[in-house]
Amino acid sequence: MGGWIGRRGVLAGMSAAAVSSLAAPEAFAQIRTRLVVIGGGFGGATAARRLKALLPGADVTLIEPNATYMACPFSNLVVTGLRDLGAQIFSYAELSKEGVTVARDRAIDVDAVARTVVLEGGATLSYDRLVLSPGVDLRWDALEGYDETTARRLPHAWKAGAQTALLRDQLASMENGGLVVMTVPPAPYRCPPGPYERASLIAHYLKTQKPRSKLLILDAKDNFSKMPLFMEAWAELYPDHLEWRSASEDGRVSAVSAADRTVFTDFESVQGAVVNIIPPQRAGEIAVRAGVADATGWCPVNAISFESTLQPNIHVIGDASIAAPMPKSAFAANLQAKICAIAIVRMLSGQTPQPTVLANTCYSYTGPDAAVSITGVYTNEDGSLSSVPSAGGLSPLAATDSVRAAEAAQAEGWFSAVTAEAFG
Amino acid sequence: MTARSLRGFFAILSAVGLAACGANSANEAMPPATDLDRSATLAATCSGCHAGPETAMISLDGLSKEVLSDAMHRYKSELDGTTVMHRLARGYTDADIDAVSTYLAASAEVE
Ligand SMILES: Cc1cc2nc3c(=O)[nH]c(=O)nc-3n(C[C@H](O)[C@H](O)[C@H](O)COP(=O)(O)OP(=O)(O)OC[C@H]3O[C@@H](n4cnc5c(N)ncnc54)[C@H](O)[C@@H]3O)c2cc1C
Repeated sequence: MGGWIGRRGVLAGMSAAAVSSLAAPEAFAQIRTRLVVIGGGFGGATAARRLKALLPGADVTLIEPNATYMACPFSNLVVTGLRDLGAQIFSYAELSKEGVTVARDRAIDVDAVARTVVLEGGATLSYDRLVLSPGVDLRWDALEGYDETTARRLPHAWKAGAQTALLRDQLASMENGGLVVMTVPPAPYRCPPGPYERASLIAHYLKTQKPRSKLLILDAKDNFSKMPLFMEAWAELYPDHLEWRSASEDGRVSAVSAADRTVFTDFESVQGAVVNIIPPQRAGEIAVRAGVADATGWCPVNAISFESTLQPNIHVIGDASIAAPMPKSAFAANLQAKICAIAIVRMLSGQTPQPTVLANTCYSYTGPDAAVSITGVYTNEDGSLSSVPSAGGLSPLAATDSVRAAEAAQAEGWFSAVTAEAFG
Repeated sequence: MTARSLRGFFAILSAVGLAACGANSANEAMPPATDLDRSATLAATCSGCHAGPETAMISLDGLSKEVLSDAMHRYKSELDGTTVMHRLARGYTDADIDAVSTYLAASAEVE
């Protein structure tokens, strides 16, 4: 391989000034570009790796309080005893090996004017560009009676880890005949089809292990992701073990009582043996501190660069960003991270980020060996995302078992690919 | 090294996270323009599934531009196709299929 000079021939379109300022030799180490990423999930870990790969000479720091990452995708299999929680754990060792500085700390403040991040441990980091991928915070103020304390009795399991194990254990120790209640919030929230995948797998668990039990889903919506596919699977597989009640059928839950495991809709109260509350959500708190969240609680971005439209030099990717019609998914977070990394490098070299075509695919299990999928293709041409008409869509209805099994195998393949992309 | 194989080389480096590049590159900064253009952003979607170990998701490594673009065109033209790839391919123009196939083939060329 040739040295840097030998490679200049391929730098078509790069300004000489940009190249020389970024290709700083050791003697000018003080002007190394400083890139900081907050949050080591699917978005942040991918972004940190990509930035380091594209700009080996830059200082790339990833701030993440946890020693390991617990992945949510496939955690519904854990809840229903079909998978070990250990299979959800990923480490940051590969990122460190690749030269990313992994700071095990929590970002508690961002000064967008001074371009600094304050860490809980006391340090202050300066950045040239900041990437925020803090995921979601659960809104503890949204459902009367539901907070961090009552969540220990009525698990959400919407962040993987102890909560996943808690819901699994509650289901496992429930008596045959017990009612399981799940509440689903209004959109937008992390993983639009996630509640219905979980419902399918819980219904499968009840049907096979606790046949006198039933799952009742109380939904704040009238429609949901992959609805025709889930409805078809439920009618065929779980007619006696799953009931879905829409918002118009009094499905919207506004309060809970942890002591007697009861939830309250407008007109009714329902007591469960196990109650899974999926609460409303918003962007992680650090987004508010950084001034990049708007009144909705989420972060508006330019969809070509994922730069905040509220603060310069700060990019927001993943669940925290407003990227609809792209869903809040691990697939989307991973892709947005890669697009954002390329945009940041272009911006650092004085080039305008280019619009492109993006896509998303989310698989959902409807049973242990069967999955269905939704695909979307998007353009960010005008700085916001829109669906490419005539592309995307759902798995076919009335498909054979082998079609569903093939998509379950693809789901596994996707999980190994996306976790390899994010964590190495 | 031809420009084409050089481009492939860099694409691979970015695909594997530059782990193989070592200390030599520590102070080099800008990646080649090909890693930053539209074809690179198009390919970012592919690696969401076709990365890491080979699984039900086939590896794209070593596939030629012709093989990749033929497959995409076939998916795009099979109007009754229902797989994820059929649903995806319909969203890409012929020019984008050409660009992403060229980019992906170049990424694997030097292996
Ligand atoms: C049950 C369930 C099933 C799912 N299934 C799928 C699926 O099949 N396919 C799919 O594509 N998606 C799925 N998802 C969605 C997916 O998990 C999320 O969309 C994805 O994790 C979003 O990535 P992110 O980087 O935005 O956030 P996260 O992955 O949540 O990462 C955020 C990280 O930021 C850290 N952080 C937060 N605040 C700070 C701070 N102040 N300082 C430092 N670090 C901070 C957190 O510790 C965390 O590690 C599922 C989700 C759930 C709940």
